[in-house]
Amino acid sequence: MSVEDVLSRGAHLLTVEVRLLWAVGILYMVAAILSLYGLITATHRSGRMPHAILGFTLILHTGVILLRIFETGRAPFQTLYESLSWFSFTSAVTYLFVSKRWRRVGLPCFFVTLIASCAIFYALLGRSPEAKPLSPPLQSWWFEWHVVVAFSSYAVFVVSSAFEATYLIAKRLLKTRDYALGLAPEELKPFRTMATKLVIFGFPMLTFGIFSGAAWANEAWGRYWGWDPKETWSLITWTVFAMYLHAQSVPRWRENVASTLNLLGFVCMIMTFLGVNWLSKLLGIPSLHAYAV
Amino acid sequence: MRRAENIKRRVYRWFSSIKTSVYLFALLVVFYFIGTIFPQGADIERYAEAGGRFVEAVRLFGFLDIFHTPLFYLVAVLLLINLSVCTWDRFQRVRKRAWRESPDVERRLSLALSYRETEELLEEFIKKQRFRLISRDEDTLTAEKGIYYRYLTLLYHAGIVLCFAGFFLTGLFVKEGLLILKQGEPTPIESQMMPEVRGWLAPEEPPQFKIQLDEFRTEYILSRKLNYPEDGLSRLAIALGWQDITYTEEERFYPKDWFSKLRILVNGSTALEKTIEVNDPLRFEGYTFYQVGFEEKLKLKINDKVFTISTGRKKNIEELGKTLIFTGFRKGTLFKPDGTVEQIRPFVTLKELKEDGTRITLGRLHLGESMEIDGKSLRFEGFEETSILSYRYDPGVGLLWYAGFFVFAVMSLRCLGRWYMLRFRIDEDEGGKTILTVAIHCRGLMADSQRVSALLNTHLERYVRR
Ligand code: HEM
Repeated sequence: MSVEDVLSRGAHLLTVEVRLLWAVGILYMVAAILSLYGLITATHRSGRMPHAILGFTLILHTGVILLRIFETGRAPFQTLYESLSWFSFTSAVTYLFVSKRWRRVGLPCFFVTLIASCAIFYALLGRSPEAKPLSPPLQSWWFEWHVVVAFSSYAVFVVSSAFEATYLIAKRLLKTRDYALGLAPEELKPFRTMATKLVIFGFPMLTFGIFSGAAWANEAWGRYWGWDPKETWSLITWTVFAMYLHAQSVPRWRENVASTLNLLGFVCMIMTFLGVNWLSKLLGIPSLHAYAV
Repeated sequence: MRRAENIKRRVYRWFSSIKTSVYLFALLVVFYFIGTIFPQGADIERYAEAGGRFVEAVRLFGFLDIFHTPLFYLVAVLLLINLSVCTWDRFQRVRKRAWRESPDVERRLSLALSYRETEELLEEFIKKQRFRLISRDEDTLTAEKGIYYRYLTLLYHAGIVLCFAGFFLTGLFVKEGLLILKQGEPTPIESQMMPEVRGWLAPEEPPQFKIQLDEFRTEYILSRKLNYPEDGLSRLAIALGWQDITYTEEERFYPKDWFSKLRILVNGSTALEKTIEVNDPLRFEGYTFYQVGFEEKLKLKINDKVFTISTGRKKNIEELGKTLIFTGFRKGTLFKPDGTVEQIRPFVTLKELKEDGTRITLGRLHLGESMEIDGKSLRFEGFEETSILSYRYDPGVGLLWYAGFFVFAVMSLRCLGRWYMLRFRIDEDEGGKTILTVAIHCRGLMADSQRVSALLNTHLERYVRR
């Protein structure tokens, strides 16, 4: 079934899809609230509930993504609406996969589910679910791979920074207690190793994301790099994570400097997403788009 | 003399340090950051007019073209030197395996076996688990599995040096510009004074061939616009089932593809023919031609007066006392939702621009037909079409692709793969018994030192003295 087929009929499938996606967004939010509740009341057994909800939401979310594929007859990563849904899906899957050993630790679950639900609500409230035919520049094998890999790497970094932030807070709390946020002192190191492993996993993906974007731009317009703000922000994110990986091999930087860089990488990633427009506005600097040639 | 040596050593140390790379990366990030908030390529006067801040600093430091300032090049070159020196320095050490690394797992076991028996048992383990025995000293056996990760790290860092070489080749030799082609006219490259990028060492002489557009085609997909509300509350109403998403009746022609049938002419005869589209360029003698767009000029007639206008523009038509906008010129092939394909009768959509800025759609005007506006007849006489191509000559891009792919592949192998090294030291204990010291090193996400340790446990279990 092609885009044209779908567009020729009524929009009931799309309506169903949008409603299901609302349900997914709300369920992610419920998982976030329950994790927060577990954190506040310090009943770490309540970690089971948010994870169970997260598992169920992921099944539903898989259904929504499959429905989208059925509707459009192509990979579901081509509009920002679709990519946001993919991003929250991959973040949640990555989290569920790597958190097996750390179900008691509620903070990363709160962080990831909150981001996943925000991404879904942004897609639903800020973007249109319309499946337009692809404009000629987007009709490229590179584009699909570029988006799927780049967004998947972002998901991995989200989970990594959730672990890193939890590690930093727990480290501080453990100075005065024997147990904090579901972690005992001897568990801190392996918990943090998870954050590093995730960056090591995501970094080659982000490298491919940037590389494939350049290859695609080269094929479509003949210029592989144009220093456009989005491109530049993705390069900033990449460079910050490269700094993080290098800081790991400098003994004095392995701890705090590296942790700060991981969190900074996350901020840069969000900047890549939201673009730099609001920052230009904030500083009263006319954005590039005003001069677009 | 000694002072010079000292300085040389210190410079070498600085350039071979990872800390230096982190500082240089940080500096680059500062440049990138500036490049994202100041509009790159903008004119300083226009920037000031548009209310841009920090005008003096912007002028002084070249913030509007930050990626072409000497300071930026300096940092990039320092990073390149750092990368090259560091890679070379580590290469020397890796070759000699001169690293002192702390193992991921270290254990001491007392075995009820003689030295010889322990050695045999370990060799059996190495063979069974498909490790390679890489060295056997007096009392130490070293075995490895996978590619030594430091080789991989070195290899892809060297690959990054090659990527830099690709960038520099591009910077030095690139030539880039726009070509506007009219059907049937052989056009020399670089004849049109279009915005152009030229590297310092780019060949001066223009290429000896010409390019000709034989045909230009467009294809469209017919569909309808989605009626998706703009405001959040209505979107919420959809979620709650109070409202449905529908399609409007408004027809939309979405561009499906644009094609230029091109011919390369060398001394008047055809050397190559190809129909290009976006994402499928034509390559000839180091030049690549890309389809970037097209432009149509419409010929219209009112009261025997003919005028031409580009599509999408507005024009004040004195005879009518109105400002008209000529949008959405469509011609070519149309793919319809029911699967049928038809040729579009060329048409343009006319809109009237009112003084308060509102636009009123007057309707479609087909080629060869007229529209009555306020009792006057506006006729669509004809159109002229040009295809817009960009061209690029870039001897660096090939190297960049190969090196980039190499970096990605080797980096993935390093990060996602697995490498193990086992070091066994056997010390003879009294009474023909041995003390075995096992050090397990591993790298890569697939590596699991605990698993290897457990396997070793199982293998030695029967002989361990508690
Ligand atoms: C320009 C971009 C660069 C990128 C993308 C990059 C990437 C990486 C990555 C991902 C790692 C961690 C994985 C591994 O150990 O293989 C790493 C490690 C390393 N990098 Fe780089 N690097 C760059 C530049 C440099 C430079 C300029 C130096 C020179 C000092 C350098 C020296 C090293 C060393 C020695 C390691 C190994 C650290 C260790 O485990 O002991 N890299 N690099």
